[in-house]
Amino acid sequence: MGEIIQIVILGLALGGVYALMGSGLSLVFGVMRIVNLAHPSLIMGGAYVAYWGFKLYGVDPLIMLPVAVVILAATAVILYKLVFEREARSAKYSEMTVLLTFALAMVVEGALGTAFTNTQRVTSPDYATDAFFIGDVFIPKGQLYAGMVSLAIIGALALFLKYSRFGYAIRATTQNREAAELLGVNVNLVGLVSFAIGIGLAGAAGSLVSFVFSFYPSKHWEWIAILMSLVVLGGMGSILGTVLASLILSVIAAFVGTYFGATWSTLTFFVALFVVLMVRPQGLFGEKPELA
Amino acid sequence: MEKLLEVSSLTAGYGDGPAILDGAHLSVEPGKIHCIIGPNGAGKSTLLKAICGMLKIRKGDVKFKGQSLKGLRPDQVLRKGICFVPQERALFPKMTVRENLRMGGFSLADKSGLEKRIDEIEERFPILRERRDQHAGTMSGGQQQTLAMARTLIIKPDIVMLDEPSLGLAPKIVAEMFDIMRLMAGEGITILLVEQNALTGLKNADWGVVLDLGRTLFEGPADEVLSDPRIQELYLGGKKAA
Amino acid sequence: MTSLDTNEVITARKAYYAGLAGEADKGRSVWFPIAVLALLLALPALQFTGNYNYLIHLVLFTASYVVMASGWNILGGFAGYISLGHNVFFAIGGYFAGMIFARYGISTIILAPLAGLVAAVFGYVIGLITLRVRGPSFIISSLALVMIFKILFDNWDFVGGSNGLSLPANDLPVQWAKLPYYYAFVVMAAFTVWASYRIRHSKFGLGLRAISKDEIKSESAGINTRFYKVLAFAISAFFVGMAGAVWGEYLTYIRPNIFLIILVSVNMVLMCILGGKGTVAGPVIGAILLVVFNEFFVATLGASEINIFATGMIMMLCLMFFPLGIVGTLARLKKLPRILNWD
Repeated sequence: MGEIIQIVILGLALGGVYALMGSGLSLVFGVMRIVNLAHPSLIMGGAYVAYWGFKLYGVDPLIMLPVAVVILAATAVILYKLVFEREARSAKYSEMTVLLTFALAMVVEGALGTAFTNTQRVTSPDYATDAFFIGDVFIPKGQLYAGMVSLAIIGALALFLKYSRFGYAIRATTQNREAAELLGVNVNLVGLVSFAIGIGLAGAAGSLVSFVFSFYPSKHWEWIAILMSLVVLGGMGSILGTVLASLILSVIAAFVGTYFGATWSTLTFFVALFVVLMVRPQGLFGEKPELA
Repeated sequence: MEKLLEVSSLTAGYGDGPAILDGAHLSVEPGKIHCIIGPNGAGKSTLLKAICGMLKIRKGDVKFKGQSLKGLRPDQVLRKGICFVPQERALFPKMTVRENLRMGGFSLADKSGLEKRIDEIEERFPILRERRDQHAGTMSGGQQQTLAMARTLIIKPDIVMLDEPSLGLAPKIVAEMFDIMRLMAGEGITILLVEQNALTGLKNADWGVVLDLGRTLFEGPADEVLSDPRIQELYLGGKKAA
Repeated sequence: MTSLDTNEVITARKAYYAGLAGEADKGRSVWFPIAVLALLLALPALQFTGNYNYLIHLVLFTASYVVMASGWNILGGFAGYISLGHNVFFAIGGYFAGMIFARYGISTIILAPLAGLVAAVFGYVIGLITLRVRGPSFIISSLALVMIFKILFDNWDFVGGSNGLSLPANDLPVQWAKLPYYYAFVVMAAFTVWASYRIRHSKFGLGLRAISKDEIKSESAGINTRFYKVLAFAISAFFVGMAGAVWGEYLTYIRPNIFLIILVSVNMVLMCILGGKGTVAGPVIGAILLVVFNEFFVATLGASEINIFATGMIMMLCLMFFPLGIVGTLARLKKLPRILNWD
């Protein structure tokens, strides 16, 4: 029993981090219909911000988090203006845009790799290797903090979307971009801001990831498939769905990892992705936001 | 008479594609129902999209109350007083009817009178009050069209443009839609309507515009357009009209 | 008021639609591909005059990518289903032929068609599952496929796990050692391009193009879209698998991180985009350009990270400013030379 609780707790903590990694992706898809395959590489960027903040100046990654958010959000604004603005205008999913984000992922990976090499890194504040003990169950502080901060950030995001006027505009745009535009929403601005928020979340996730996993630039390919499984399972564009999918899949992956070995725990996500695609052939993307 | 909206030698198209509209013109007089007819692919919807800012105006101009609308975004055109209801009706399927009406007032700077205005509209369209907490996506086609048209009234626009409001609706419901349009016109709202079913459209309109090959071929009072033998042959399917 | 003459309007309407559709020049320059092929078949004679191994390698490398990119193009270009996981079939072909070669000594060149068929069977089965979804779901499923196969191959001891297996090199003298593979790839490339041309102009190819334009309408027009798509997937996997078969023996080893790295997939996709997705000549031109560019880049800058950066950058610029690729853009401007016009 103790072992099972242990696994569930580890899974949930990790799931919290994955949820934050996935929710930015989900938000951007919802508003702009862009499947941003570059999202994980930008999370990697956030991880490097936190890593160097700690390594060079000894700043705690949790304090570097807002810095990473700002840096990544600013990057997002530039990317949006240079690359995505005209893509966003078509407001329709297109293969070309997916390929574009795929290419962007390579650019980011190549840039990070050139700057920082492919050496494995991990940020190591004291709590990253420390743990709480409750009876037999141990809870690594690093994962616990990361998971809790993640869920807090997602909670704040949900409140913003639900109650602010801008959040209202974002939700309207997600449901029917054309309609929102015709009712007076400046959808281009909504696109820009949502993109900046989404990538800002990637920065936040990156700072947390930096002390939970070891990372190196090309690792983002592994994350892409994991994050995609979360957002597909949760229903692309639905942040709540992404959070639930993250928590559930991470717990399952933790069980698989414990009983079959760590290699196979990542396979859980990919297999889950396939199963979802098979069970719902139209995919969870298949739901059309427009009225027929 | 002062023209409310004036389109002159307009050229527009999608993306980098060919020009769908090339030399379209149109003049709209206040308080009347204008019906644009023409075959498939003539550029009817394109014209409305170019006016409301969804498509870039490549050449020519669109003037509203003497001011050019060129280069404005749809949300800016809306704030000038031109409302567009596209074929897909532009509803939010997962919002309730009431929320959809509320979104209709998104562009208002002053939201204080909004709820009262929505109540008034619900009074005029009882079906919307009945369905107020239902998701818009679950309503019938006619109810959705009613919602889309009623929603434009929230901001009291000068012009409402409708792209094939009768699409997919039963004849009886189509008649109801035209009743609503006449009601709106009676309140001084100018209607600019695109109709695939030219006969029905013209019979209910004051002014007819024939668009073909991307340009305006003919415009005039609706009954004149209806009775013109050449137009009957080309666009109204033979001589049975009139 | 414009004059309104009935006949005039009808004539004008015809001209208007013809202008929108654009008309095609149907003349072919059959001599050109034959001349290129003859030249390539004769090229190794240079070895009598000196050491041209590097040139041989470059042509061989390009030909291998012509096979893969043209293969990818059948699904990604004609049918419009973008797969980022086609290196899975490269791996399947490579491992199938490589394992038989290692155990029984049968040359992979002989095994290549069989390896292609094995890849096609996998393609068919995988297609049955993943082609039920379109758009982003399909692309993502193809990425997931690579991840799954990478984990499986990395942990499959029978094929050497992540270390892979060494394959024996042939015992030809060094200036002739590359030639069997050279001819194998040149012949495969010629066959693939020919097949791609035939498919493009068949009823099947027309169906695929209809699917890429509007799948729902194609289905209601009576095309068995599901069968067409899955078949396209299988054929496309066949060519990629065939290339993989010989590639392993040429390199003298098979290893997951040769076949299952994302760059191999990206190259196929990028070559098609650069040259012109959905055209016959596009993937060939894309392959030539990208191989030349890669060689130049590796020679001047070396580091693979910069290579990844540059590949991504080219792909981005290409997609943003040049989405139709070379062949597509020239065709649109009506400036496509006849030797490249096979569409």
